[in-house]
Amino acid sequence: MKIIEKIKTNKSNHNQTEIQKICLNKLQSSPLPNPKSELWRLSNKSKLSNFLDYSINEKDSKFDIPYPENSQSTIRFIIGENCQIKLIEKNYSIQELSEDELQKYIKEQISFFKQNENWSDLLNLSLSCKNNILGLKINGSKIPPIEIFSHASSNSLNAKTLVIFLEKNCELELLQVNLGKENSSLSQSTFICLKENSSLNHGVVSYGENRSNLLNSLNIIQQKNSKYNLGSLHFKFNYARFEINIKQSAGNAKTNIKGMQITKKDEQISTHTKIEFNGPNGFLDQINKSLADDKSHAIFEGSIIVPKIAQRTDASQLSRNLLLSNLAQIDTKPQLEIIADDVKCKHGATISQLNEEELFYMRTRGITLTEASKLQLSSYFQEIISFIPITKDRWDLLDKLLNEN
Amino acid sequence: MVNENLVKDVVKEPYKYGFVTDIETEKIEKGLNEDIIKLISQKKEEPKFLLDFRLKAFKKWQKMKEPNWAALGYKKIDYQDIIYYSAPKQKEKISSLDEVDPKLLETFDKLGIPLTEQKKLTNVAVDAVFDSVSIATTFREELAEHGVIFCSISEAVKNHADLIEKYLGTVVPASDNYFAALNSAVFSDGSFVYIPKGVTCPMDLSSYFRINSGDSGQFERTLIIAEESSSVSYLEGCTAPMFDTNTLHAAVVELIALDDASIKYSTVQNWYAGDEEGIGGIFNFVTKRGKCLGKRSKISWSQVETGSAITWKYPSCLLLGEESVGEFYSVALTNNLQQADTGTKMIHIGPKTKSTIVSKGISAGNSKNSYRGLVKMGTKATGSRNYSQCDSMLIGDQASANTFPYIKSQQPNSEIEHEASTCRISEDQLFYLQSRGIEFEEAVSMMVSGFCRDVFNQLPMEFAAEADKLLALKLEGSVG
Repeated sequence: MKIIEKIKTNKSNHNQTEIQKICLNKLQSSPLPNPKSELWRLSNKSKLSNFLDYSINEKDSKFDIPYPENSQSTIRFIIGENCQIKLIEKNYSIQELSEDELQKYIKEQISFFKQNENWSDLLNLSLSCKNNILGLKINGSKIPPIEIFSHASSNSLNAKTLVIFLEKNCELELLQVNLGKENSSLSQSTFICLKENSSLNHGVVSYGENRSNLLNSLNIIQQKNSKYNLGSLHFKFNYARFEINIKQSAGNAKTNIKGMQITKKDEQISTHTKIEFNGPNGFLDQINKSLADDKSHAIFEGSIIVPKIAQRTDASQLSRNLLLSNLAQIDTKPQLEIIADDVKCKHGATISQLNEEELFYMRTRGITLTEASKLQLSSYFQEIISFIPITKDRWDLLDKLLNEN
Repeated sequence: MVNENLVKDVVKEPYKYGFVTDIETEKIEKGLNEDIIKLISQKKEEPKFLLDFRLKAFKKWQKMKEPNWAALGYKKIDYQDIIYYSAPKQKEKISSLDEVDPKLLETFDKLGIPLTEQKKLTNVAVDAVFDSVSIATTFREELAEHGVIFCSISEAVKNHADLIEKYLGTVVPASDNYFAALNSAVFSDGSFVYIPKGVTCPMDLSSYFRINSGDSGQFERTLIIAEESSSVSYLEGCTAPMFDTNTLHAAVVELIALDDASIKYSTVQNWYAGDEEGIGGIFNFVTKRGKCLGKRSKISWSQVETGSAITWKYPSCLLLGEESVGEFYSVALTNNLQQADTGTKMIHIGPKTKSTIVSKGISAGNSKNSYRGLVKMGTKATGSRNYSQCDSMLIGDQASANTFPYIKSQQPNSEIEHEASTCRISEDQLFYLQSRGIEFEEAVSMMVSGFCRDVFNQLPMEFAAEADKLLALKLEGSVG
């Protein structure tokens, strides 16, 4: 109940938006997710309560983006700082969603929410004030890549919400960066609707500093013939939870997901994906990699749901895990729920360590053990990193990961 | 290869074990309380330690809640509306088979279970359990020559109380889960096997469980102990008559393998599954677990699950001994409105332990078939390996197939591999078979049999043939 009181005392009632009120009401019936439910069973309870401990911060302190200068070829937004976006060019337009559109869409989403599955979204929407919600409608062709930043300030709990409508026949590269500061909690919820024939290359890179926490939820709706590629990377969080909900609303859509999480010290990072096929001819190819070192805990839970209507679905899911320390833990649970009979569905999971034969081979060629394991790790990382858009040239993600190791 | 005529014969038949034997039985009143437990214990003339064990389990059970995490839906079970003890009336203790009620022998004859002398040639020792009581155990003397103890658990309580006291509840403690606690409180009979050091059991041992009365539950308990360097193969079969009420079956099986011992446990479960509308059928809630205590010990589960309205069953292995091996081979077939949530748990505790899981699920009709398995590598399980493979086959677009593998590792120097796939009967293959003059249903049952080959290969000969027959029978009318 503490968190609800906190939200209530934080706001004077007349400032609350309608959405905040609805979500707060829903949260009131069960303020915390059920720790016994399948989705929250492995989540570290004390870390979650630590997430909620910080005081709510609605106004951002200015922050310096620790990344290369904004080049002309990309468009950059920071959630919470932009206002009045209206970019209308010859080939494309990027406009802010009107208040009505935004409200209508979010309300519709809320009507599908389930208490445990969407607890992160409920929390986010009851915390997010008007300033911290960014709604975009993107239309046209030859759109330059977009970078969207979300960040938390030290010693506070921040909530940011992003809503994107990708209109028909649109193609877009989007990179979302979530940055945690020391002792901070960030709740980020993203809602993306891919209209017919649109295509999105989406990258999600999240990393924190000392003891930062993250609840990152991604809700994607894919209409017919849309194509969605997601490359994600989560590391350096005391506690992070990445929830991906993808719904192929009428089938005939393609989804590719490549995600990775890296945990060290006593960190816990989990990825929970739920992919629903609500029409025929859906396609999914998913790979999730985890690397757990020291005393950390990495979790992957993926479910693929194929109801009767989703005939001729082709879905595959692979969970590959590296366990590097005696005290670390890995849990993985790829899951299939299938009713349609004319489908091809498969999943696989492996947990192992670095290949000793490969290490030995490299060492006989004069490469030191540290170098050799770095080489192995870089090939392990590379598959995911090369799938994240925009970052290729400008962000040295690989170096960052390897130097951390 | 499926015998063509056999399949034809079999496909025509309804559930052929659905008859009721009209025999005088002794039943106690419905309901469950301490007095009932004391009465059961008294009827079986049990020593005090066992009564205490039962009462303790009952206390625990009262505090527990029925689990609801399985992907199963069934109407609430009224535990006070069940008869917890039912036994065919027998005037005196029987010393040989000739004194067993001929009706009972006839029943087992009908079921194809060789109890009578002329059928003993098959070289399988059988312990037949009818409702709550073990009726007869064959080949006793021959087994005794080798020092093998094979008898009903009630006899073992009387004659080998020390072994029972030492091992009962050590693998599946009374508080393990709701149904195990219930079983510990009211278990009526079951089989007991003890293989002494260095003995390879000279023949396969087999138990046959038969539920006869409609309102009593069956709660059997099996305990198998394999001493150092011994080995045994154990078969289990189950049938029940057709009733339009649901009957509860909650069994517990405990296996213990010491150094270099090996136990192979095979089950063909064919309880009555209810009719096409889902009326009647057995609710099958079973806890089966084996403990590989000794070094290089091995426990292998193989099962063919075709019956029961509800199946809730996870035969597991606790791999404690160094280099111990656990195996699980399963075929689960559901049709009409059957629901099965079944799988295994492989808990790797000792170093260099190995486990293999091969699970084949076939769902037809409106049924629901889930594989749920856990593979866990503990912190000391260095150099351990697991390989799992779960394949599902869907027949018709109303059935559902789910896979829930839970994989957990705390040991970097171990490897886990898991694979799962879902498919349907390939139309190309069907077409090929049909173009060669094989009828549609026959072609389907051939393909199903091929799909399950990996598991059937692990079954003892006579079981493999029975399993093939069963699958063909169960799939009748589900395709096309």
